[in-house]
Amino acid sequence: MSESEPTATEARRLAEESRNRVRFEEEALELSDQVYRVARRLVGSREEAEDLMQDAYARAFRSWQQYQPGTNLRAWLLRILTNLNIDRGRRVQRSPDLQPLEEGDYFLYNKLESTLPDENPDEERVIEKLSQNSVVEALAEVPHDFRDVVVLVDIGEFSYADAAQILDIPVGTVMSRLHRGRRVLKKNLAEKAVTA
Amino acid sequence: MMQPYVDGVLSDEQVKEAKEHLAACPPCEKRFRFEVSLRHFVRVAATEEMSEELKAKLVGLRTTEG
Repeated sequence: MSESEPTATEARRLAEESRNRVRFEEEALELSDQVYRVARRLVGSREEAEDLMQDAYARAFRSWQQYQPGTNLRAWLLRILTNLNIDRGRRVQRSPDLQPLEEGDYFLYNKLESTLPDENPDEERVIEKLSQNSVVEALAEVPHDFRDVVVLVDIGEFSYADAAQILDIPVGTVMSRLHRGRRVLKKNLAEKAVTA
Repeated sequence: MMQPYVDGVLSDEQVKEAKEHLAACPPCEKRFRFEVSLRHFVRVAATEEMSEELKAKLVGLRTTEG
């Protein structure tokens, strides 16, 4: 057997790998806007989000072969990003205090509604009592274990299963953190709407 | 059941049950619409776009030529 045959095979393999790699990088970059929107709300500042994005993309481009083609690339990128965020020592904070939130699920609605003069306002009028800033602040004040889940599901529009995989926690934990995180968010929003 | 309903994770049977309840209960119906609007409002309000500088930096991290 001549030596040129395996070399030609090897050359084809390398060419294909390089094409796959180009495609991977292009697809990852196309998703960067969507990844950033989630990243920005996982951390407190724009600078942190930008650092995290660069670290995550550098790592993704290095470890591209670990990505399984055909699976959710946006979730894979966010898994890298949330792991980096946790590695940065963010998770020093103890589990947030688990004292019960007295307010029911309709606390925010009732509070907003009570600030309007009409007897039976429609929900758009009620929502208008909230400002964009109050949402950003109210979200930032949700303890981060809970916030991660709320950001992934409510802003990133990931399924419970994807959020569970990204954060490496059971789906049941996603659901309980989501439930509590949304309540804390509403409580924070209610406080801001009233003081505004 | 309100949150799972808004999330679209209920079974067909549960969805049917929720719909029947909402149709017969104006306060719940109104709060359901509020929950949907709130979810949308939070998503839009929390969206901040990436800067062109960052976008260029990410492209610069590529290992291959586009």
